[in-house]
Amino acid sequence: MTNAKPAQKGFLPALKRFAHSKKMVTLVWILGIVVIWEIFAFIVAATKRTPVNVLPHLWEIIGSFFSDKKVTGKMTMIELIGTACGETLSRAGIGFLTGIVLGYILALLMNLSRVVEKIAFPYLMIIQMIPILGMAPIILSITGDINSARIVIAAILTFYPVSTNVLAGFRSVEREKHELMYSYAANKFQLYTKTLIPACIPYFFTGLKISAPMAITASILVDTLQGGNGLGCMLSQSLKGGMTRLVFWDIVLISAVIGILSFVLMGVIERLLCPYKRNRTSD
Amino acid sequence: MANENTEIMLDGIGMVYKDQGGNDVTALTNVTLDIKKGEFISLLGPSGCGKTTLLRIIADLLHPTSGKITVGGVSPREARLAQRYGIVFQSPVLYDWRTVRKNVMLPLEIMHVPKDEREDIADSMLEMVGLTNFANHYPNQLSGGMQQRVGIARALAIRPEILLMDEPFSALDEFTREKLHVDLLKIWRKTNKTIIFVTHNISESVFLSDRVCVLSPHPGRLSAVVDIDLPRPRTLELTDTQEFTELVSKVRNSFEGV
Amino acid sequence: MRSKKWLGMLSSVGLPLLFGVVIFVLWQTQILHSWMGTDTITLPLPTRIGEIISQNNESIGSQIKMTLIVALGGLVAGSLLGYLIAVIATIFRKWGAGGLTIVSAFNAIPIVALAPVINNWTRDVSNEVSVRSTMAKIIVVTISCTAAMSVNAFRGLTELKPFSEDLMKSYAASKVTVFLKLRLPNSLPYVFTALRVSVPASVIGALVTEYFAEDTVGVGRQIRENIVKGQYPTAWAYIATACAIGIGMYIILMLVERAVLKRRRA
Repeated sequence: MTNAKPAQKGFLPALKRFAHSKKMVTLVWILGIVVIWEIFAFIVAATKRTPVNVLPHLWEIIGSFFSDKKVTGKMTMIELIGTACGETLSRAGIGFLTGIVLGYILALLMNLSRVVEKIAFPYLMIIQMIPILGMAPIILSITGDINSARIVIAAILTFYPVSTNVLAGFRSVEREKHELMYSYAANKFQLYTKTLIPACIPYFFTGLKISAPMAITASILVDTLQGGNGLGCMLSQSLKGGMTRLVFWDIVLISAVIGILSFVLMGVIERLLCPYKRNRTSD
Repeated sequence: MANENTEIMLDGIGMVYKDQGGNDVTALTNVTLDIKKGEFISLLGPSGCGKTTLLRIIADLLHPTSGKITVGGVSPREARLAQRYGIVFQSPVLYDWRTVRKNVMLPLEIMHVPKDEREDIADSMLEMVGLTNFANHYPNQLSGGMQQRVGIARALAIRPEILLMDEPFSALDEFTREKLHVDLLKIWRKTNKTIIFVTHNISESVFLSDRVCVLSPHPGRLSAVVDIDLPRPRTLELTDTQEFTELVSKVRNSFEGV
Repeated sequence: MRSKKWLGMLSSVGLPLLFGVVIFVLWQTQILHSWMGTDTITLPLPTRIGEIISQNNESIGSQIKMTLIVALGGLVAGSLLGYLIAVIATIFRKWGAGGLTIVSAFNAIPIVALAPVINNWTRDVSNEVSVRSTMAKIIVVTISCTAAMSVNAFRGLTELKPFSEDLMKSYAASKVTVFLKLRLPNSLPYVFTALRVSVPASVIGALVTEYFAEDTVGVGRQIRENIVKGQYPTAWAYIATACAIGIGMYIILMLVERAVLKRRRA
């Protein structure tokens, strides 16, 4: 490595390095997608009678989001979507947290007791195969209340990825680490706090990265089943013609952004909790 | 034979387990051996000779199906509960999420040693293995040899009387291994531990040990105990001497049925 | 020793079965209803649900067919598209890998939200409602199955065993040969990893897009329609059907995986 040039400072070399970086590749891809969207939007605008129903221009969508025109009687777009987001996300969040706690406790119990494991494991497998989201309408009628339905479904969808991944995390701990703790005459509590629980953190976050976007999707879907103030409610009202179609497009875009952000957020929290992953030497 | 100088007494140790088909497999048969306090002893043999099984029996990780074993006059279990063992595995088994220093402090935390004392012990152990400058690194930033040093420092941190080492250097390259041999002997001289060292490397066992216990397979048994009366402190030059090569071939010739 | 093994197997089958029976009894005796604060109208007894299923198995069968067409059509199209993307990404490695990070971000997008728009896209395809509606539904399922396949297949095509690529190079193998002899077989287990995600996703996708579809057919739509009409036992019959589809498709996947990957494990 003696031939490696020292990293040059200054604007131009920095730009050069950026041009060869991964970020650049991602940026070009995003631009590519935007360009393709716009090409189709132009075609649609030229050929369809109501282009906003099929594919509006991105700038129309983004512009409508920040415009101060009233969408409903009192609210501008940003206010409308802001309150809807708050409504949907807070319920998704409560369900998500409940699911995390329940999923983690189940994984702990399964690791502590063979009987619990034997009872719960087959059901944990089955629950992955059955379409919980398809059951949303019936959960809504059992709970009878859209808020509880959102919480329940988000919790179920969070619960099993957390459970299966945490259990896999516990199981991934090498035999030698168990033997080490055994040779220290560590008790069960110490085995968990010092070895198993820290070791499963990356697995725990794998579960969270799967379930965070799912909890949000589920919450939006439940919204569409009944009237109210959530994102999904606004979405279906806009589709029915209750308000401008751009509300629909704004919500599609916003929910995509929120879904991705929820995934990214889990990664950021993981990095904060696991500094050892950050310091990994790059080669 | 046993006197107050004996640390570990093995008397007719046998180990039989069942394989998947339900057949008896003899891993060890009739091993009788006294290990003295402060002795450096190697368990040498090819795969399947039961050397690791024997180490695990001493460590109370396995229970022999026949024979008697005492460690400092008590059972392995009592010795383990009294935290008299330090174990070093083939892989370093470090905790990714702990810095080097915190890895060394781990057993002390479990023993509820006060924080100040923990830190002092960890620092002195890291000094002994020459890793003071890496105290705040994470294991994945270290080389394989350095990781294994951390493993040794961690094993020594609880001031065990007995250090059990299961092929600790077998995954390292020859240069690193030779350096660690010399370092390990220095640490041993400073701390006066009893060391039981499992290996399949003949010259490694001759270079390090006071006595080499040769184990042969099918069934696993103790086929010879070779005294290594080479002078100490030993340096790498020793390996070039005729006495050394003679002892190596003596050990090699004592294997049976390989 | 042998009896111990038997006991272990018996408990791993018996214990979950016992749990299932307990739930069934609690449900049938309406103790479950009092715990959940609901009644036998919203949560009908299992025997009643079974009755409905046996009475309507013909119409249920035709709804299953509609849902399966959508789920399987989307699954196949999405998996092929995903694999194709992975192959392209393997050929143009640097740009491909970046593109896949974008594709994997699609996983986090609630695709079902797109369902209503896609109905508009297929409007001109056919005058037949059922044709264009089925097509719209298949497109949604396709999109929701693509990401998992492309990300996993890319890993399978690129994460080769150490030195195997060098070995191929030493034979002076062409890129096509490397692809056919090395990359393709190497990606097979990864394809199944992807399918384990996308098979359940295709069923969920099919059920949920039916909610928004123009055509009021399919198991998912029947769940919703029957709830709106207050016919809860029928809705539950369709929920049971939906679960059976999900479990059935997963079991078939497992069997296929076992048959295909059999030789590798040995």
